[in-house]
Amino acid sequence: MTRTVLIIEDEKLIVVSTQMVLEAGGFRVESAVNGEEGIAKARSVAPDLILLDIMMPGIDGWETLTRLKRDPATAGIPVVIFTAREHARGHQRSAEMGAVDYFRKPFEPDELIALVEKHVGQRA
Amino acid sequence: MNIITNIMDGIVFVDRGGNVALMNPVAEDLLGAKFFVAIGKPVVALQGRKELLQAVAADHARMDRQREVTQTVEVHHDAQDIMFIKCTTSRVLDWRGQLAGVLTALRDVTAEHKTDQLRNQYLSIVAHELRTPLTGIKTFATMMAKGSLGPLSDRQQRVCDAIREQSVRLEHQIDKLINLGNLEACEYGQDRESFPVAEFAAGLLAPFEQPARDRKIALTFDVEGDDLWLQADRADLRRACQTLVENAVKFTRDGGHIAVAIELSGAGLRFRVTDDGVGVDPRYHRRIFEKFFQVEDPLTRHHGGAGLGLFVAKGIVEAHGSRIEVSSQLGQGADFSFALPVHKQGVPVIAGAKNPSQGAQP
Repeated sequence: MTRTVLIIEDEKLIVVSTQMVLEAGGFRVESAVNGEEGIAKARSVAPDLILLDIMMPGIDGWETLTRLKRDPATAGIPVVIFTAREHARGHQRSAEMGAVDYFRKPFEPDELIALVEKHVGQRA
Repeated sequence: MNIITNIMDGIVFVDRGGNVALMNPVAEDLLGAKFFVAIGKPVVALQGRKELLQAVAADHARMDRQREVTQTVEVHHDAQDIMFIKCTTSRVLDWRGQLAGVLTALRDVTAEHKTDQLRNQYLSIVAHELRTPLTGIKTFATMMAKGSLGPLSDRQQRVCDAIREQSVRLEHQIDKLINLGNLEACEYGQDRESFPVAEFAAGLLAPFEQPARDRKIALTFDVEGDDLWLQADRADLRRACQTLVENAVKFTRDGGHIAVAIELSGAGLRFRVTDDGVGVDPRYHRRIFEKFFQVEDPLTRHHGGAGLGLFVAKGIVEAHGSRIEVSSQLGQGADFSFALPVHKQGVPVIAGAKNPSQGAQP
């Protein structure tokens, strides 16, 4: 069974490169360019894992995470925060808000695959 | 009018009995209390800016155990306005060495605080703007170098490897830029999480492999206890370890040796970097951890760096409850190490526990 990862990320270059890595790792990839679209896709696609950027136009990643966790249809999908910016106590904050992990960009492709393998499909 | 009237900082002096004996106009303004009302009363009994008065009173109460305490207090001036007041409280002794009272200096550091905040915010945005395109470059180069996009000729392979290595280097430089910004914040070790040693060790030396190869330095890495887990601020710990390695690379001659090791040691793990480079004169063993300090030696002066590496590394290691040990003689290499507690997966670590059953013993 193919496992699906949803990337919520406004930066096209990162979507394309991350998608390439994940597809090489055997995953199917869906993407959304902002929080609102991401939430809608999460509901319609029901991915096995979500990679969520923080700095996005419109609602940011933290708000997107809050809404994903509030909605019973998406609350169980594991979310990994995927960020290029320093966030004060980022690991703690993302864990408190219900994300399963916190991943920094730039990244090593092998590390991303290992991380996704670790959390994918681990529905709460 | 007395000797403290015109001092720019707020000054409050309380006598041995804990009652206010002196106070200057700046202190009156900051505390929101008049001297003629306050005199002869303990600070805790004063009416004025509550947060600040409480903080000063609490510092006074700590004076039987400590010589000096400093804290920065957030004062809510009114609805929008927040002030930051730095309070330094210390004991005052008379000529016989007996306690005469306690002196508190109050300084408005709101402007500095705001500048710090702005600078960190700015650096954080700059880092984001630089890392975003770098993520694309690094990911594509890595995929190509690994052959995921099809087979490469030898020349193509070399070019891809070079792009990848340079992007890792750039990533490292951006991290350093951010570290410079966080320097004054001194909030190391805040973002603790549990992670496996093996995961931490992977890629730890990646930024140094190429520079070491270029200079024919033998760089080895031995990891023990890779089935154990650490509880630490991972990014900070990585920074501290990489600083030690970076220094070793900097101060080792071409063709030298550097041994990096993560070793089982008592109830924890010891991170150790040993080199056979220029070494450090024992009289500088303390000073090398000072901010901006660099040993002025003709051999080392042409090495870059701001003199911040060990200062930051020390702050990080201390924030994790440990300290960096140095063993070195001039011209005979150097050995830097520090130890941290470890735990097994799923077994929480108790801060400061010295119980060996928690530790690395299998």
